[in-house]
Amino acid sequence: MRLWRWAVLALALCGLAATVPARAETVRVTVSYYSAATGPYFEKMAAAFHAANPGIDVKIEVVNWDSLLQKLRTDISGGVNSDISILGTRSLLDFVRDGLAEPLDGYMSPEFKSRFIGQFLKPSQIDGKTYGLPIAASARAMFYNKTMLTQAGFPDGPKTWDDVVAAAQKIKAAGSAGFGLMAKGTEVDVYYYYALWSYGGDVVGPDGKAAFDSPAGIKALTLYKSLVDQGLTQDGVTNYTRTDLQELFKQGRVGMIISLPFMINQIAKQVPNLDYGIVPVPTGTVQSTYSVTDSIIMFSNSKVKQAAWKFLDFLFTRQPRVEFTTGEGFLPTTLAEATEPYFTQNTRLKVFVDLLPSAHFAPTVTGWEDTAKAVSDAVQSVYLDKATPEAALKQAADRANLALGR
Amino acid sequence: MSLSISAPSGTAGRVRVTLAPWLLILPSLVLALTVIGYPFYEIVRLSVSDVSRFGLVRGYAGLANFRTVFADPIFRDALQRTLTWTVGVVGGTIVASIPVALVLRQDFIGRGLARTLIMLPWSISLAMAAIVWLWAFNADYGMINATLLQFGVLRTSVQWMAWPETAFPVEVLIGIIVSIPFTSTILLGGLSSIPGEVYEAAEIDGAHRLQSFRHITLPLLAPFINIAIVLNVISVFNSFPIIWVMTQGGPDNSTHILVTYLYELSFRLGRPGQAATVSLAMLAIVFAFTFVYLRLRVPEET
Amino acid sequence: MITRRMLRRSALSWLVLSPLLVLALLPFAVMLSTALKPLSDVTAFPPHWLPSRLEWGNFVDMWNTVDFGTGVANSLFVSLTATLLTILVSVPAGYAMSRLQFRGVAQYRQFLLMTKMLSPILLVLGLFRMAASIHIGDATLVDTRIIVVVIYATFNIAFAVWMLAAYFGTIPIELEEAAWIDGANRLQSVVRIFLPLSLPAIAVTGIVTFVGSWNEFVVALTMLRDPSRLTLPLKIVNLVAGRYTVEWNQVMAATLLATLPVAVVFAALQRYLVQGLTLGAVK
Repeated sequence: MRLWRWAVLALALCGLAATVPARAETVRVTVSYYSAATGPYFEKMAAAFHAANPGIDVKIEVVNWDSLLQKLRTDISGGVNSDISILGTRSLLDFVRDGLAEPLDGYMSPEFKSRFIGQFLKPSQIDGKTYGLPIAASARAMFYNKTMLTQAGFPDGPKTWDDVVAAAQKIKAAGSAGFGLMAKGTEVDVYYYYALWSYGGDVVGPDGKAAFDSPAGIKALTLYKSLVDQGLTQDGVTNYTRTDLQELFKQGRVGMIISLPFMINQIAKQVPNLDYGIVPVPTGTVQSTYSVTDSIIMFSNSKVKQAAWKFLDFLFTRQPRVEFTTGEGFLPTTLAEATEPYFTQNTRLKVFVDLLPSAHFAPTVTGWEDTAKAVSDAVQSVYLDKATPEAALKQAADRANLALGR
Repeated sequence: MSLSISAPSGTAGRVRVTLAPWLLILPSLVLALTVIGYPFYEIVRLSVSDVSRFGLVRGYAGLANFRTVFADPIFRDALQRTLTWTVGVVGGTIVASIPVALVLRQDFIGRGLARTLIMLPWSISLAMAAIVWLWAFNADYGMINATLLQFGVLRTSVQWMAWPETAFPVEVLIGIIVSIPFTSTILLGGLSSIPGEVYEAAEIDGAHRLQSFRHITLPLLAPFINIAIVLNVISVFNSFPIIWVMTQGGPDNSTHILVTYLYELSFRLGRPGQAATVSLAMLAIVFAFTFVYLRLRVPEET
Repeated sequence: MITRRMLRRSALSWLVLSPLLVLALLPFAVMLSTALKPLSDVTAFPPHWLPSRLEWGNFVDMWNTVDFGTGVANSLFVSLTATLLTILVSVPAGYAMSRLQFRGVAQYRQFLLMTKMLSPILLVLGLFRMAASIHIGDATLVDTRIIVVVIYATFNIAFAVWMLAAYFGTIPIELEEAAWIDGANRLQSVVRIFLPLSLPAIAVTGIVTFVGSWNEFVVALTMLRDPSRLTLPLKIVNLVAGRYTVEWNQVMAATLLATLPVAVVFAALQRYLVQGLTLGAVK
């Protein structure tokens, strides 16, 4: 008799335990700082997601770009990394090679895969598996000061590098800087790649070795050097970061710079009266531009993978995507966003979007930072008159190959 | 516990006395040995290991890292530049601080104010001072160019940070400015310890100011100058924020000193093994300098 | 009495000092000028010293953007705790070195000198790995304020013990001995007689340690990541490093606000600092 009562009690307790909700899972997300809107955006998404999924808590951490990789590396080596993180796609391969990134194909339904504008998933696909989702995308194009360029005879902007030289000479004669060239800080190498690709060159060849010391590469760097030597750029190029160049353009003190979509937002906010236009990166022998994606990845040591995936899925639905992309001034990566009137009706953004088919992505190779530094150093040494383009690029190729080989 | 010992008397008292000092210095020893000893051991270990980009030790590498580092042209340049940097900043600081200390020693109207104003650069965090100077030297919007242009000293804006020939001297100048407060304070204290009678006696003997400076002030000030040199060399050799904030060692690695290159290797280029080697090289240099200098100079103090 | 000689000497002194004074005060002038400018002035070309109008709002904007309050709180916590720890550890050691005979005092002094030569940045890679290897619950010691505190304290010990020992040496032992004769034991005489006399030395050591910790950059940069834990120098450098746009008026407002308190304290206490440093230097 007593045994029976104990059994009922036990059963009741089990029933009770079954109805107690499972402990809330926490998904930790590391995001990079794009603007003052980034943190609030992700917090908002975390809250919205939590409202729809009460059992899952999302914690956001915002990190500056230049310490992001360092933070990830150190967290990983201490075993305390987050579950999800944003990452420059160019750094992805190192993480994949060390088995740190979780392949996402198993989580992606066919419907999910179809959300994306074709080529954007490619850069984060390594050895046939998808390791990251394109959270942010931008392309580069040339911004030109309409007033200055019209006076120089190019009311619709320059089309080729020869146009750039001609226009810059007229602008120089009128007392301003013609073509803005940056050679300080991050992306010094990228600014050179614009020219490299426009002459049909490449950073890394199909054999995985450095290819920028090709004739095309040398021609590109020689072009830039001659622009500097002829005084067709602003003075002291090694003193100008990407940000400095943007400021100069907004001040109306330089005629042409190559820059990103978010400049549109900046100009509208700070100098709405600036008369400017946007054209593709000047052609050398081919038309091409640089497209960058940042990926959001899941770490393979995450303990809450299912929950983390749910959050990723949520981030890539229409509303969250539209809000992010428009808020930050990026380009759409999903088809749903691309239909948003904001994009279809924005003639300025349209220039960028139209460039995407011919865009180059940064090659996914190991040790990208070493290659980037080697090329940046080479480019700077040429501007400082310490080396000829040919010698500098050859040396950089040797340095890069040391890192690319590993 | 054993800290309450009676005034020394008898053998029992003496035994306990020798325990107390060790207990008193124990916490400092423990802290120093752990917080300094373990990292040092780690660095030695890293320097002889094959370390992945993510800091995972993958095996023994012998002297491979050392070979790579010593053959690295950037390392060699940085080494040489560190020498120039240290000599330049410390030399400039000492040379500037002696007259400053001499003047501040004298009694004049507003001396307290002058002393306070000279000390002010010391109160700014080095990193923040570097930011402010970076802004002041901004080619387009900075006040240095604006003011020099206005006074006709310059005809066009100078792109200070664009070339190492201008950027590095500016960085050295800033290094000197931020070091003068500390050094002149030490020298001022040294001057204060020279009794006035010495000068009076010299005057009576017919010496004039320059002679008494050379034969009285300088020798008596020597131990203070030596201390100032040693302390300054150690801190300037390792001085990171100024160069890092202003040029990050660029353009084209032309303003790198060892400590900024070390940071870049560790945290930007993901090469911990090589970074550890550079750390050891720097440690060796500092130790060597200090011991050699102290050995050479200290006997002269008497 | 102000004689003509005094006037001439004053004028000469100020003249000799003037180039240095200009350079010393330039950062403050730049900070003040830019901090009060509206953004349009900052990127105006050519720039002028005087703002077109006084934009006090910069300080408010900056406070929110930088989360200045959190930075101050973190810096305060770290600096105060590090100073406290340094004092707690160094006072006994300083006492031992100046009062007690023990074998190994020379080696201890050598050991301290060696640690003085080590700047944290030389060991920063090792410090980082050490912190990363100590696990606490879900995380490691990296990105905690306590590891920064411990590091600051450790690297300040050499200087603190040095200075304290030198100063303690000037406090006559006769005073304590008098207390012994009156029947007090050692501990009592230390607490009642010695400590009150040593307060100025402890105060100066404390201030130097505090200011050094408040301004420190590299260790904090390496260890601290989460915005809620960043100290003030880090928050300010973040405004400048790796941002897509830099609003210099806010940056200068931040540096001004971060520097003024320390500058004021320095100004008020510079006399004691001179005394204190000299004593340390002589020994």
